[in-house]
This record gives sequence, structure tokens and C-alpha cells, in this order.
Amino acid sequence: MKVRVKAFARFREILGSDLAIEVPDGAVMTTALSALRDRAGDEGGTIFDETGALRTHVILMRNGKRVKRSDLDTLVLADGDEVAVFPPVAGG
Amino acid sequence: MLLERERERYARQILLFGEEGQERLKGAKVFIAGAGGLGCPIALYLAVAGIGEIRIADRDTVDRTNLNRQVLHWERDLGTPKAGSAEAKLREANPDIRIKAFATTIDETNVRDLVAGADLIVDAMDNFPTRYLLNREALRSGVPLIHGAIRGFDGQATTIVPGKTACLECIFPEAPPAEVFPVVGTTPGVIGMIQANEAIKYLLGREDLLANRLLLWDGMATTLETYTVERRPDCPACSPGVRP
Repeated sequence: MKVRVKAFARFREILGSDLAIEVPDGAVMTTALSALRDRAGDEGGTIFDETGALRTHVILMRNGKRVKRSDLDTLVLADGDEVAVFPPVAGG
Repeated sequence: MLLERERERYARQILLFGEEGQERLKGAKVFIAGAGGLGCPIALYLAVAGIGEIRIADRDTVDRTNLNRQVLHWERDLGTPKAGSAEAKLREANPDIRIKAFATTIDETNVRDLVAGADLIVDAMDNFPTRYLLNREALRSGVPLIHGAIRGFDGQATTIVPGKTACLECIFPEAPPAEVFPVVGTTPGVIGMIQANEAIKYLLGREDLLANRLLLWDGMATTLETYTVERRPDCPACSPGVRP
């Protein structure tokens, strides 16, 4: 099945804008993140930490609702879901 | 009551929201935290809109590297406190309002006094620790906080109404890493205008604020989107029982 991914700001430059990733039926959020990690390759350091986990300040949303870090392994995705990922900024 | 010259100065916006709306702005007190990339355009536009009292605080002095974006500070101001530099320009832009400038670091010891009596706090800081402090003070005092932040061509904004909307710690439980951030002046210009516009709407009592919505501006893609945000039941800043 296909999941749509919207990346913003620096993440859009790394992952591309408005991409669709293919994941197996019944896949959980962790699977989608793993596909994004592969896609980011060497440039993924601003999104994922050394262990491959999403950096703690990064905001992840599914269909417009925030996803808690504790739900990554259990949140089952559906065909056509939209996942949004973006880095909050801090400057002024 | 508006003076005759005020009726004239604000004639075009009185067409929008009437003398009653203009009087609301005249009676308003706004605290702008920061006189940098965001604080300069926010303060300038709120001043010319006729906000009755603008308080602005910044601890820094003007550096040449500020001049690509901090539009109230000019070559002649190099080495002088940003608070005084901003105050001088704002007074010249609109002599009919009160400007109170504070060349000070916003911290636990003074945030209460800086916010006291204000109708609104506008976040124009460049770091999350001070933003979290402003958020806690907003929650404690009940004064709404209009958040904005930028980096490069990107920015974000949201309006926090204590007790009603998600607070800053609900939305950003973890601060982004501190850095010397790259920035072009148009980015704080865009986000600062969104914040100033929110401030004016809030003071006029209008609905449809950026409440429980996080706005994301991507200047390289020229996209602007808003995402729904929610209060976190376990938020250390605003959840009942944890709230200071």
C-alpha cells in the first residue's frame, strides 16, 4: 500500500516534496520511518539520530494529528494515509 | 476617545474595524519579547497600527551581522542597545503611542513585571529556554502568547490562549538544538507579519486565530500550511496538577 509523506523545510530538501512510499499492508509507523531513513541516506542526520531513531525535537503527524513516540511500533497505517514530518525552528 | 489626528492617521483601518476597534487598539498593552529579526517588524507594524502601549525587551547591542533582517536597527546604531534603537524608531514612526524599552535579559526574576498588565505577549525570541519561560508566565498570568520562530527560509507560528489551547510545551516538548541559525530577512518578515496580524485580530476580539493550529511557512517552496495541534494531557507546563 502507499503512504503519502509530506516533509517540510530542511526535511523537504532531503526527502523531496510530496512523496509516496510503498509499505506492506498492516505496516506500522516504524516501518514507514525506516523507509524514510533509507531514502534520506547520508543526509538523514538532521532527522534521525545515531541509533536510527527520529530525533526527539522532530514533529511527526499522521493525517494531521501528532504521533506520540510511544505509539510508533503500534500505530498501524492505512492505504492513503498522510504522514507529515518537520523540524521545529528556534531562531528569531 | 481618538484625537482628530488619530482619526486621520488610522482612517484606512477605521474603514475596516471602526473607531471602536481603533479605540481597542489604543487601549491595548503588548509586550514584545525581543527586538531582533522578528521583534523589529512586529513592533513597527503594531506601532503604526496604533497599539497604545508597546513594551519591548532585548538584552543585545546592535551588531553589523544583524542588519540583514533587523529592520529597526541601522548602520548608525552599531554598538548601541537594541532596545534603545528600536524605541527611537518606533517613537518616530508613531508619536501618539507609548513605547517602553527594556535593555535587559528576560529571566525568572523580571518576566512577571514585564508581562504585568499586558493584554498580550508576542514571542520574538531566538531561543527555546526563554520561550518556555514566556509560555509558563502566559499560563500563570492568563495572558495569551503569540509564538513565532524562524530559520533559513522556514518559519512557524501559533497562538496560545492559556486554558483553551495547546501551550508551547504541548506542541514542542523538546527544544530544537541551539545553533547560529542561517536566515534571510524576508523569513522573519513573513512570520513577524503573521504574528502582528494575530495580535491585532486578538485585540479586536476577532475569532479564527491560529489557536490550536501550527502554521508552517516554507519560503523555498512558497507553501504555507496549518496543522491541528492539541493539548497534551501529560504536559508538564499546562496539565492540571502540574501547572505551577
